[in-house]
Amino acid sequence: MSVGSQSPGTAETGDAEAVVITHEDVDRAHDRVRVSAARGQRGFFSGARLLWLLVGPGVLVMLGENDGPSMLSYAATGAKFGIGFFLPFVVLTFCMAIVVQEMTVRLGAATHRGHAELIFDRFGPFWGWFSMMDLAIGNFLTLITEFIAIRAGLGFFGVPPWMAVLIALVILYGALMSHRYWTWERITLAAAAFNLVFIPVALMAHPNWHAVGHSFITWQPLPGFNKDVLLIVLADIGATVTPWMLFFQQSATVDKGLTTKDIRFGRIDTALGAALATAAAVATILATAPLFAHQMSADNFQAGEFAQALQPIIGRFGASLFALGMVEAGIVASITISTSSAYAFGEVAHKPHSLNLPMRQGKAFYSVLSLCAVAAAAIVLIPGLPLVYVVLVVNVVAVLAMPPALVFLFMLVNDKEIMGDLVSPAWANVLATAVVLILTAAGVLFGISIIAPNIFAALGGK
Amino acid sequence: MAKKEEAQVLGSAADESWVLSSLEHDQLVRAKKHHIPRRHLKGPELVVLWSLRLYLLFMMVVVGYQVWIAAR
Repeated sequence: MSVGSQSPGTAETGDAEAVVITHEDVDRAHDRVRVSAARGQRGFFSGARLLWLLVGPGVLVMLGENDGPSMLSYAATGAKFGIGFFLPFVVLTFCMAIVVQEMTVRLGAATHRGHAELIFDRFGPFWGWFSMMDLAIGNFLTLITEFIAIRAGLGFFGVPPWMAVLIALVILYGALMSHRYWTWERITLAAAAFNLVFIPVALMAHPNWHAVGHSFITWQPLPGFNKDVLLIVLADIGATVTPWMLFFQQSATVDKGLTTKDIRFGRIDTALGAALATAAAVATILATAPLFAHQMSADNFQAGEFAQALQPIIGRFGASLFALGMVEAGIVASITISTSSAYAFGEVAHKPHSLNLPMRQGKAFYSVLSLCAVAAAAIVLIPGLPLVYVVLVVNVVAVLAMPPALVFLFMLVNDKEIMGDLVSPAWANVLATAVVLILTAAGVLFGISIIAPNIFAALGGK
Repeated sequence: MAKKEEAQVLGSAADESWVLSSLEHDQLVRAKKHHIPRRHLKGPELVVLWSLRLYLLFMMVVVGYQVWIAAR
């Protein structure tokens, strides 16, 4: 490629097309140079450095999905059903998440386009807007629940709601202020690592390790088959696979600048994120399992109430960690979910959309990101709103919206014109089809249990 | 103003060629302005997409009904 002499920031490509080099390009090039340098060296430390440079979107999406409503679902699972079927079930749901999210890594690395952009370009605006509508509604409802979790978690320490929300917004903007994807990613990763605080909380609850091992091997005791169980099953699935994850990880993969050479590390990143998130999810079930043993009703418990209920069992320090874990879950998810909305908006509206953008060049991107977060935070502060229903249904809505989103993903990742040799292999398609069928079947069963309880009873449900 | 900022970022032709050599062509912001061509959806694909769309709309009504029941 020869460099043109028209003006700084402009170059000529081989096909005589003018290429304007932007601030975003320069930042991304800096990141790629470091990756290339690490890849050019051999040895364990170079490999570890390469991994350090390339992890991010996968860990963030998985720990981001361990959000407020997800952690509440896991807490409710432990409190209602104790140690048993749901421990291995949660591991299974994260395996489903790996299958799905790996596809977004391949799509992002192969096309360098975000998920929303690809849907609009390949399937047209009609299907694109449907997809965006699902994302926008789901993201906004989920964002509200993140601020509910933050408010409830900090409420445990006596922090007033307005201050709790303000703290969350300050952290969100603090991460954004660098106007650099790399810095944003590292700050958010550091915050997300706090999700693992549920592990020491679980240890403080002194779980019965024999029962834990038994449940992982036998999937027993089974919880029975009734509406409550079905709702928890759906909530736990919705706690691991949701539409925003598809949009976020693909866009973040593109923003980070991953290429097809990095796909292996993208897979490791995704699997590592899933492993960490599984550990936190299982730990949360174990932490609240004593409530089941003590026959305490945890119906409609919020973050603060779980922490208070656990205090006699794990002490004030353990309960404080639990509440802080809920706050972290809400903050990290509010960052990642609002970012996924902003990415999707930028891709569809053809506005610059990158965390590498200076504020002046990324006004629309940062405005959407801020607007989503501030609006959700403001709604949480309105007194008297029945927000408990939002918390109850948000994970269920996520599960119901997944099959249509997955079919778009499935079609894109098998599209030879854009994926070339990176189309999904047959075994990956079988797994992805199984995930779609499981999610659809779970949704249909849920629908039957609500509108036709008699048929549900005939199927063995109560 | 934005151009001035870019000029400060990219001081020389060498800088520009460094960026171009570090990124794949498709990764450049400029390249992303080109749309990926639309594909024609086949009959079975449309059936699946419409079925899932109707499924989602129906299930949203069910969720609304569940919330209404819970609120009562």
